[in-house]
Parts: sequence; C-alpha cells; structure tokens
Amino acid sequence: MSLKKFSELFGDLDSINSTNNKIEVLKNYFLSNDPIDNSWAIYLLTGKSIKRFISGRYLKNLFSQIYEYPQWLIDTCYLKVGDSAEVITLLLKNKTTAKDKKLSNISLNELLSETIPALSKLNKEEKNLEIKNLWETLPEDNHLIFNKILTGTFRVGVSIGLITKSISKLINIEEEIISHRLMGDFKPSIDSYEFLINKNINLQELNSKPFPFLLANTIEDKIFKNSINDFQFEWKYDGIRMQLIKRSGNVSLWTRGQELVNESFPELVEKMSHIKDDFVLDGELLVWNFKEQIAFDFSLLQKRINRKSPTRSIQLKYPIIFIAYDLLEINGRDIREVKLENRRIELEKYFSKWQNNIENNISDTFKICDLIFPKDWPDALTYKEKSRENNTEGLIIKKKSSIYSSGRKKGIWWKYKVDPMQLDAVLIYAKGGSGRRAGLYTDYSFALWKDKELIKFASAYSGLTNMEIKELDKWIRKNTIEKFGPVRSLKPEMVFEISFEKIQISNRHKSGIAVRFPRITKWRKDKKINDADSLENAYELMKKIS
Amino acid sequence: MRTKQEYLIRYKDGNLYCELADIWIDPSKPVKKALITHAHFDHFTFGCDEYISTKETAILLKERVGDNIKIKTFEYGEEFKINGINISFHPSGHILGSSQIRFIFAEEKWLISGDFKLQKDQTCKQYEIVKTDYLISECTFGLPIFKWDESKKIAHDISKWITNAPEKTSLLFCYSLGKAQRLLNEISQTNFKGNIYSHGSIHKMNNTYRELGIDIRDTIQIENKKKIDQLKGSLILLPPSLSKGSYLKNFKNIQTAFASGWMSIRALRKRSGYDKGFAISDHADWDGILEVVKKSEAKNVFFHHGDSEALSKYLVEKESINVLLFGK
Repeated sequence: MSLKKFSELFGDLDSINSTNNKIEVLKNYFLSNDPIDNSWAIYLLTGKSIKRFISGRYLKNLFSQIYEYPQWLIDTCYLKVGDSAEVITLLLKNKTTAKDKKLSNISLNELLSETIPALSKLNKEEKNLEIKNLWETLPEDNHLIFNKILTGTFRVGVSIGLITKSISKLINIEEEIISHRLMGDFKPSIDSYEFLINKNINLQELNSKPFPFLLANTIEDKIFKNSINDFQFEWKYDGIRMQLIKRSGNVSLWTRGQELVNESFPELVEKMSHIKDDFVLDGELLVWNFKEQIAFDFSLLQKRINRKSPTRSIQLKYPIIFIAYDLLEINGRDIREVKLENRRIELEKYFSKWQNNIENNISDTFKICDLIFPKDWPDALTYKEKSRENNTEGLIIKKKSSIYSSGRKKGIWWKYKVDPMQLDAVLIYAKGGSGRRAGLYTDYSFALWKDKELIKFASAYSGLTNMEIKELDKWIRKNTIEKFGPVRSLKPEMVFEISFEKIQISNRHKSGIAVRFPRITKWRKDKKINDADSLENAYELMKKIS
Repeated sequence: MRTKQEYLIRYKDGNLYCELADIWIDPSKPVKKALITHAHFDHFTFGCDEYISTKETAILLKERVGDNIKIKTFEYGEEFKINGINISFHPSGHILGSSQIRFIFAEEKWLISGDFKLQKDQTCKQYEIVKTDYLISECTFGLPIFKWDESKKIAHDISKWITNAPEKTSLLFCYSLGKAQRLLNEISQTNFKGNIYSHGSIHKMNNTYRELGIDIRDTIQIENKKKIDQLKGSLILLPPSLSKGSYLKNFKNIQTAFASGWMSIRALRKRSGYDKGFAISDHADWDGILEVVKKSEAKNVFFHHGDSEALSKYLVEKESINVLLFGK
C-alpha cells in the first residue's frame, strides 16, 4: 500500500470534525491496508512519533540552499503558515518538476523502516542530496507527511481513545480490551497489529477493566441547607484521577480518559503488586512533596505523564504518590453499592493492614486521602479558602449515604473550588501565533500601573473566543506603535481581566511578581486604562493569600 | 524620478484616479465617472453619475443592482478617448466580463490589471497579455506558498468529497458570481452526477451566464423546506454569508466546505470553521503575478490589494524590476 493512502487518511482526519466520522475513516483505513502499514499508522497516530530527524530551521535552510531561495522570503511565508513542514511543502509545489524522474511509490512501512533510518547513516552532504532526491521523487501529496515526519512534528487530532474505538468497532470487541492491548511499548510490526485485532480475548484482558468513574458536580447553593454531618469532606487535588486495579495478581493503572498508564509509573505498579489482596481503588495520582506532605504543582506531574519507562533519576526527581479516595472492589467482591461511609471504613481497614506489612513499605508511593471535618458550612468555607496553602483546588464534598454510581450524577459528589485570582490589566504587546493561530496576533502581554507607568506583568494567549481574537487582531493592526520582528507594541487602550492560579515574588521580572497559568477571562470593554489595577493591588493580593 | 502627482494614475482618497481624464477606477464612493473592472460588489459603489465597463460586466451589474444605473459599454480591445487619453478594456480572466484597463497618453502606456488570473476557466475569456510601461497589479496572493492546482483536480476532489458521503447533504460555500459558475462548469465534467442545488443569489447569476452563452449545468433553486431525503447525496452551492447563523438549521446531516484560495493554508482552513477547504481561486497565484509582471514588460510596477512587501522586495532583488509605492 502506498504512502498516498496514509496522506489521504491524514487529510481526512484533519478535516473531519465529527468523532463518529473519524472512527469510520480509521476503520476503513485499517480494512484496506496491510497489517504492517496499519501498525505504523497506529504508531504515528497515537503520538509515538519518531525522533526528530532534522529541525524545522534546518529544513527551511536546506530548501533555501537547494533552490536558491531567499531566507527572508521563507520566513515571511512562515509567518502566514505557522509550520515549517507545511511552508516547505507549499513552496515545493513550485519547485518539484518531477516530470523527468520516476515517482516512487513507497509505502508507509518503507518510508519509516527503511528510507528514514537510512538517511541517518549518511553524512551531511549526502543526507541533503537524498532529501532533495526524495522531494523530487515522492508524489506531491506525500510531501507534508514526509516533512512532518522528518521534523518530528507529525501530529493529528486523534486521541488514543479514538484509535481504540475504531479498532473496537472493526473487530467488535470492547474498548477496554483494546486499550489494554494498546498498552505498552507498541512496536510497529505485523505481529503487534495481528495481536491488536485478535478476536479471542484472554482472561487477563478481561480482568483489567476499570469501572466507570463517578464525577463531581459544581456546588449549588441548595447543598448548604443540608446538615454538615451528612457529608464527607476531602481536599480536591489537582492531579490525574485514576483507578488502581489489582486482580489475579496483575496491576493496571487507568486514567479517567480510559488510558492505561502502567508504563509511566512503574514504581507504583511494582509496589502495589506486593499487596496480597486484590482490589479496585479510586484515587488521584500526584507528584508529592514528602517533606511538607503536600502536592507539587501539576506542571511537575506533566513531566511524568507522557514519559514511558522513566529512568530511576526521573522517578527520584519527580516522586509520585497515589492517594486513594475510595475502595470499589475487594478480593473479587464489588462493593460499589455499599454506602460511602462504610466503604471508607473498609478502605481504612485494608490500608492499615497493608501498611503494617513490614516487608513492603507502601507509604512512599501510596496513601489514603485525609478527611476534613468542618464544624459547619462557614467553617467549610474557611477550609476551602485555605486550600491554596496545601496546593489543592478546593474541597470535594461527598454524600455519606451515597453509592458509587457512574458518570456525573447529580447530588452525590460536589466540587467546591477556590475562586481564581484576578486583576484587570492593559494590553501592551502582541505577537503572532503559530500553528492554527498563524497569521493572527494571538499572544498577548499585559501590564499593570506603577505610578504613571505601565509595567508588564503577565503574558497570556488563551481565553478569547475566535470572534474576539479576530476582532482584537484587527484592532492590533490598526493600533501598532512599533514593530520588533514578530512583536508589536500597542497603543495602551484595551483592558482585560486576567485570572491566574498563583502569585509570588520574582526578581526575574521587572514587575517583581510572577503569576501562574495566567489567562484572559474577560475583555473589559467597559473599562478605561485608568481603571486597570496597579502593581500595588497585585502585592496586596499576594499578602492576602500568604 | 517623477513625483506621484505627476503620474497619469495615482491613489486619491484610497482609490485609483486619473486626473487628466477625471475618471476613477472601481471607486468605493460616488464620483462623476467610474471605470468598472468587473461586477463584484467590492469593486462597485452606488451613486456614480456614469459607469463605463465591458458589455458583460454591465449586464451582470444590472442583474445584481437593477436597471437604475447609467452604464456605457465597450467591447474588449475597443479604444475610446477621454480628454485625449486612449482607454481600452482587455480580458483579465477573473470572472465573466472582467477586464484590465489600459491607458495610453503621449505614448506612455499604463495598465491596471484589475483582479486577474491566468488559470484556465471556461466561463470567461482567458487573460490577455498586454504590454505596458507602468503596471498597477493586484497582489491578493503575493507569496510563493500560493500555487494553484489545476481546477480539474479540485473539481475531482469536490466530486469525491460528495460521493464519499452519500448519506449527507454537501454544502459548498463560494462567491455567488464567478466562482460558483466556474465550479459548476468544472463539476459537470466530473463523475458526480447527482443533483446540484443553488441558492437564489447564485441561481440568478447562473441564468445570466447562460444567457450570455456560457455553458453552465442546470441547478435547482434551493427552497427552504425541501425534504431532507431529497437532498441526501446532493450538492448545494451557497454564498459564504450564509455559513454563519440560523440558515444551516434548514438542513440535517450536512458536511460543509469553502472554495477559496486561502484554503491552501492549514491554519486558515482550521480557523474557517468549515469541515473542508478547497483551494481554488479566481486570483493569480505567485507565479501568475510574476508572469504578468514579466510579460507585460513593464519597467515600473505598483501593487495594490493585499500585502505586497515580500513580492516587491523579491522583484527588486531577484528580477531588478522597479517597484514603486503609491501614497495611499
């Protein structure tokens, strides 16, 4: 099968919005291609992309060299397109007059297992020549895929869940089973594809399935009419929600997005496999500060999520913990219909049993969540306000008499989140976006007053609607004071409400403060720049919180 | 070098103006005398005392805005004189009736390209190479990333897009004058043989094209309450203004696409909100503009419409062509 088919698949997936249609397209692709190409397609689509072979800059320089194209012209084009691989693909349409050369009809497998590995064995000059040769002999439709794979930027809006769903439909087997099969080091080969589409399910596969997750709703006022004693209170951690399953001796770690992540957290899997009992736990995975017994920022957890088989030093640098909220199954007995308060008793009982096992110290990777006991609702509010101190997002409030049902069922679990911090700031710089936002000014910098001067305090690019982005882009072009490369300084006129998660002293910034996760929450067209906040307001906010 | 006031044609209040003839080209506000390059609304404004255009442009304009305007018409290549200046229209290949306008005064030639393309289009006359001293060219797609595929290939892609979704109604958004007719002409030569519907505004233009002798496939004018299963597997041409808002609620199970040169860029395609984009344009691509600049043999070139910075720099550096700036 030719690479062309995969290029078409990429084009289709890229242009289809509906999930069902994407699944259909994937299913048809798998049906009409060789197992080996299918396994490569799955490998690429699930983001297990091949190591970057050359940089986008290198690609652009090479094109400029080969075709004597001015670098500045390529750079101008890049500003419009926002992706090196795509710019070169579009520019190649002008250049590859392959009429005299025979077009090569290589397959995805040949490209990935022969052509590209062969490239890396060449010296620089040979390599450049070979890329030129490939540009001229690959059919034009394949250039984008080829350039993207070369530069390690192949990405498409397909989640692992979507691949799972389409394989599941293809062979008519439950998604959880496919998920389990896709787990691990998926090596592109005929065998791995055949294993994936095998219609016979073995017992171990059945055993790893998680329960549907129960989700919390945003709190509503009516809850305050109830007695506080009807509820169990927990901190709301900002980590990854997971089910930790051990059945017949095998441990599986499932995220809420139905992803099996055993490989990212081998130390946890190893630890849990020593426990004698079988169980299903619902909980949260965090990178944990053991000294202070609080969670580290979510950003540290991100260093672990996408890293398969982390080294020992990574494991030590970002130590993880699984905090169990709930026990759903114990030694084969499903206890989801048991009341929460009784499940909690079971959870505590088993936890202390496991903890007292001296040969296996589990406390460095596993604990159960502490409960909070507010006296009354105002006291609960005080706890909530304190949640920033221990790096949580607020409270989770659970009805003691509830059973563990599935989905976002009303009136069982509530989340009571701490309000974000906000300041009104003035837009002073804008920079062109890349990727999907190419050609638009979408990266903004905001300032606060210090006496009569505006001092930059945060940059943000999310929070505006597409309509607002377009409107603001127009305004930016009309109200530019000066251009510095891709950045424009702007007439101070527009005020925005900026929300963020954390504010702290920073001597790296002129403003003296740094904020975390700044985002635009409102375009304050009703406000003049004199109504914007000052740095002093920011300092006060910081004092109030610490 | 002369100052800009001495140029035969210059910018005045954001429009192209020839002072010697006291005549404006595609003015955006009412004037006494206006030359109209083609019948798109962004090149036309109400309230001028007199319009001058090709015969086809005049007919299309009257069809769109009514008979209440005074238009004098000339054939392509037919010279007429205003204040001693020889003026003539020449095919620009953009849409039916579209033209470049040439001015000759005291042996100096000026050419306004109008909107143009070099690509083949069976619904209008092919672009004519006209030699000139001064060229004022449009530059909508003035970057080398723009390189059009043959329209036959695009039509094939569109046909495939429709036939691959037999359960859906395919809505193709395109400009109602020019683009729609070109697409119809091309699509009728593909494998797609299902029904084609068009919105009233497009339908009207189709009829006018047909009356002017252009081969356009029959379409059914879309009515608001067509039965849904009747529309399954068929193609509907709609103007882009209907892509937002409630109009789409009239249909069930649809897929949408936009036909425009901008759709060649992935980021723009994604941002457009359409399911799919077909990169087909009635403007020249980078190579097209370069070819016209070279073949016109113009020694001096001006650009308007679009971002011309990169194109100008390229012509000066690589082709040693004198690119001048209009004061807007």
